[in-house]
Amino acid sequence: MRGDQANRLNNGGLIDRSAPLNFRFDGKTFFGFKGDTLASALVANGVKLVGRSFKYHRPRGILTAGSEEPNALVELRSGARREPNTRATTAELYDGLDAASQNRWPSLNFDIMSVNQLFAPIFVAGFYYKTFMWPAKFWEAIYEPAIRRAAGLGRAAQVPDPDHYDKAWAHCDVVIAGSGPAGLAAALAAGRSGARVILCEEDFVPGGRLLADGGTIDGLPAAEWVARTLAELATMPDVRIMTRTTLFGVYDGGTYGAIERVNDHLPVPPEHQVRQRLWRIVAKRSIVAAGSIERPIVFAGNDTPGVMMASAMRSYINRYAATPARRIALFTNNEDGWRTVETAIAAGLQVAAVIDARPDVSPAHRSLASKGGFPVLHGSVAGVDGGKTGVRKISVSLAGGARAEVEADGLAVSGGWNPTVGLTSYHRGRPKWSDDIAAFVPDGAPPGMVAAGAANGAFGLGACLREGFEAGTAAARDAGRTGSTGSMPVADDAAFSLTPLWHVAGKGKAFVDQQHDVTASDVELAQREGFESVEHLKRYTTLGMATDQGKTSNVAGLAIMAAVTGKSIPETGTTIYRPPYVPVAIGAFAGHHRDQNFHATRLTPSHHWAAEQGAIFVDTGLWKRAQWYPRAGEKDWLESVTREVKAVRSGVGFCDVSTLGKIDVHGADAGAFLDRVYINAFSSLAVRKARYGLMLREDGLVYDDGTTSRLAEDHYFLTTTTAKAGLVMQHLEFCRQVLFPGLDVQLTSVSDQWAQFSIAGPKTRDLLKEIVDPAEDLSNEGFPFMGAREVKLRGGLTARLFRISFSGEMAFEISVPARYGEAMARNLMIAGKPFGVTPYGTEALGVMRIEKGHVAGPELNGTTTAADLGLGKMMSTKKDFIGRVMAGREALVAPNRQVVVGIKPTDKARRLRSGAHVIPKGEVPGPDNDQGYVTSVCFSPVLDQWIGLGLVERGRERIGEIVRAHDPLRGEDYDVELCNPVFYDPDGGLQRG
Amino acid sequence: MSNSAIPSSTIPMEGSSVAEFSWEVRSPLDRALVAGPYGAQGDAGVALTEIRNFDLVQVMARRGKASEMAQAAQARFGVAAPETPKSIGTSDATLIWSGPDQFFVLSKGGKHSIEALAPGFAGSASLSDQSHARALISISGMKARTMLAKLSSIDLHPDVFGVGAAAATSMDHTSVTLWRGQDRGGQAVFNLLVFATFAESLWHTVLDSAAEYGVTISHSEEL
Repeated sequence: MRGDQANRLNNGGLIDRSAPLNFRFDGKTFFGFKGDTLASALVANGVKLVGRSFKYHRPRGILTAGSEEPNALVELRSGARREPNTRATTAELYDGLDAASQNRWPSLNFDIMSVNQLFAPIFVAGFYYKTFMWPAKFWEAIYEPAIRRAAGLGRAAQVPDPDHYDKAWAHCDVVIAGSGPAGLAAALAAGRSGARVILCEEDFVPGGRLLADGGTIDGLPAAEWVARTLAELATMPDVRIMTRTTLFGVYDGGTYGAIERVNDHLPVPPEHQVRQRLWRIVAKRSIVAAGSIERPIVFAGNDTPGVMMASAMRSYINRYAATPARRIALFTNNEDGWRTVETAIAAGLQVAAVIDARPDVSPAHRSLASKGGFPVLHGSVAGVDGGKTGVRKISVSLAGGARAEVEADGLAVSGGWNPTVGLTSYHRGRPKWSDDIAAFVPDGAPPGMVAAGAANGAFGLGACLREGFEAGTAAARDAGRTGSTGSMPVADDAAFSLTPLWHVAGKGKAFVDQQHDVTASDVELAQREGFESVEHLKRYTTLGMATDQGKTSNVAGLAIMAAVTGKSIPETGTTIYRPPYVPVAIGAFAGHHRDQNFHATRLTPSHHWAAEQGAIFVDTGLWKRAQWYPRAGEKDWLESVTREVKAVRSGVGFCDVSTLGKIDVHGADAGAFLDRVYINAFSSLAVRKARYGLMLREDGLVYDDGTTSRLAEDHYFLTTTTAKAGLVMQHLEFCRQVLFPGLDVQLTSVSDQWAQFSIAGPKTRDLLKEIVDPAEDLSNEGFPFMGAREVKLRGGLTARLFRISFSGEMAFEISVPARYGEAMARNLMIAGKPFGVTPYGTEALGVMRIEKGHVAGPELNGTTTAADLGLGKMMSTKKDFIGRVMAGREALVAPNRQVVVGIKPTDKARRLRSGAHVIPKGEVPGPDNDQGYVTSVCFSPVLDQWIGLGLVERGRERIGEIVRAHDPLRGEDYDVELCNPVFYDPDGGLQRG
Repeated sequence: MSNSAIPSSTIPMEGSSVAEFSWEVRSPLDRALVAGPYGAQGDAGVALTEIRNFDLVQVMARRGKASEMAQAAQARFGVAAPETPKSIGTSDATLIWSGPDQFFVLSKGGKHSIEALAPGFAGSASLSDQSHARALISISGMKARTMLAKLSSIDLHPDVFGVGAAAATSMDHTSVTLWRGQDRGGQAVFNLLVFATFAESLWHTVLDSAAEYGVTISHSEEL
């Protein structure tokens, strides 16, 4: 059960040969082992062609062995779990893994769109801008769809992700990115000091380059030192090693973002577990030990399958015991690349040649070559002969000008190493150029952060350990942890010795950015066309804008730009670095907050009772409110709502209004405080009385309204609208703490303490008499309109009763402590049964308030004044209040303002729609003649027709005028009459009776 | 209003004329809470217990009366009220910091109900009854901190958030009061007060967060 795996070495590697895994790539079944990535398993099976390129559909193979991979992107999994653009180089192999190559049709081997290569001369930088400019409307209809078919990456799943993601916080003294020698040494030092440490490693095994390159540390083979170090760290309870976790971003205040791929290595997450978790890590200090990325050299045919980074080749051979080629050549400009030759020889592979761009190589390597019987060619690779089956022949320009050819099926390339400077640059830092290693290194970092080891440009093993250990020690000290750090791990440093080489001129396409198919000539073209700035270069050519964010291409691109402009690389500069370091699924950012958990939900105290009644709920802000209570046989919402309104107006009904904001206002100056926040007076309100109040914003426009009752001399109970409950509380707290700190006022939200029900209709008293203790006087004299006081209920419970009416009917609101809310609803049903009590929802509530001409959200819309709402007379002239002065501004008192007025169609059968614009009769509809609009509508059971409220210019002076309701959205235009907004019981006799 | 006025059991209406009804209390989690195991099988990593029918009173100093309020608290409870984010337990009440110059009094059985507290704090503090405005969830178990890390931005490491530590913070965009009670069975106990109308929503989020560790769910009348 291990399959062919023809390119798997018989021994070695960090794979578990006792755990064979089968997987499918493009429908074909292969085998690999536990410990493989998809890429290493493909290498072991001799698969070289893994994808087609973005623009030209060129055959591509695996270039790297890490998260920087530009080419080997696959669609992983299928159906709802299909993940496009997954890097095969980091996808951990699991049994049954199913992957497909991308951007090819009908198959990877025979891809029709590869004819794009024939048109390659026109697909150059700026191609879209130049080609698809005209006619403009063709862009959406023709060009973009065609381009999207031809160019691109993987396909999204198109159906909801069935897996779960969550988010979590973590706190520590020191967070470390990377578990190579520098990261492990840092963790050791910090951990021994007693610091709380989090070590994030994006791989599934800690060790970094030690896993592929080995070495000797403290006299031990690297693998043994890693095992010993991990064992020591495991004894420290406050050191946490998080594998499969990429530290991807740096945010303010020492907060870091990390993505943990909790269960990506399994086909399906175990029950109750998440696929990925997004971490917010709060750390006093951070150490970037993220290593470095080997960089390619740009030459013709450098994207041929079989061309691979030298270090990646060592990873496949040493870590995975998988050989990318049988006969390899090496193209290097530095000493480090030679390690791949050593690895290849040790693995029994043939070495065809080493092409070294430097003037000379070390005697040791020269002797290695002579012993191994392969030539050392001083020069550079000028071209690669090969295709979808991979490298066949390599053409070499020798230093003297002669040419040579090398036959090989694999070409290892090393152009040097780029420190991973992303994390240190995410606060808009720019790295600085180091001539020693011909690379950018960090130049400072966000507060609390340092780089160590290869990420800091220190490439030797000994230097990595030293920098890591010292950074770990210092970070722990800074966090106040002073335990003994013990001895520092030591190792030798190898020579690096690099001669910069970025681009070899030659015939054929030489790719800078392989993922976005950006060539060296595209960079040169951009320069010729004036896009010299690196930020322009990036946008014009799309260099570095693919999912790999140019990890293997950015520096080469700007080096080529530097060469053609005659500037140095540091003069040319880098683009801005931005998180995330690797792509992070949107699902992980959403975490738990999707579907019904998109936001928190608030339930009223009678919610479950209403659900039992079959209520239809509507989302109002966070609340679920009963909208109406359908009954069997009712054909639509309108029939149910009309029944509810009629039941209230002819008998009695009740509605849960607990969603209103409720605020206890205490203190000796509570009345004075309310006088300042409301336009009308409250200090004059008698105890056991309620009053409607209106508050303005500073700018004089209406903010909110509601009734406020005085329960004691120094205790008011204030209510707000549902929508503004939180905002009004904030506003009042601001007034209390900042504007009027001298007043003795205390505010407490009691919104959740009270279940509040509106009981309305002519039989309200009959019902209440069954609930309230018989000793309580509910008569008009004993409990007049706008009265408010505590009452005893039958059974001994104490409630608050308010005689207020929103419906225009004889009505009370009754409050009981919230845990009795459901009992109250049930008891109202029992007590009201003889009177035909009817629960009603927010729709009926809305109908009755429109019939009564009460304003609500559509009229309290942030643009209306008290006078606009017909409430101008409430503005006290005897006191100051918030918004008073600004409300007197010219525009706010202009005579032609749009004010609230009633509106009804002249044709009684006509349905009125909100949003319709009011246009004078005989005028042409348009902005010049737009005099307002319909804000609220309902079908009025009382009037047996549709009615509404509107904001209309000088509306109240024009009562009786016929105007047009013009509704271009719905294609309607009809006559309406402007009328008194109080359609029902204009004298208010009912609610007082 | 104290909860003890109306016990949690059903009380028949006195002097019933036409209708028979009762005043049954229902916790905001009455429907959502299903006692027993939840989530992953095996030893539960998280224990969730809803505490029902408690008295909770918010005490806020009148302007310039913080020291008088503190004296009144000392006289009433025999301990100083918390002036920093802390909770302080007495034999029959827990005082939990809820903001500058304010704290909660959490108790059972009406001994420290708003009516009982009012005389002692007259003139020095304003009292608001919050007994019905919150649900109280007690969280413990080996994985309690791990689970809470999904919900809370607060560092709950034992060295940082010790016994008695308290925080007015948010979970799942919902305001909560979180404090660490006395350890039980060698394990940390975290108490969570959440607004009653948000309780069911947060409860489901807590369950979703805890499911992977295995949960044991219960409710109790004991603080």
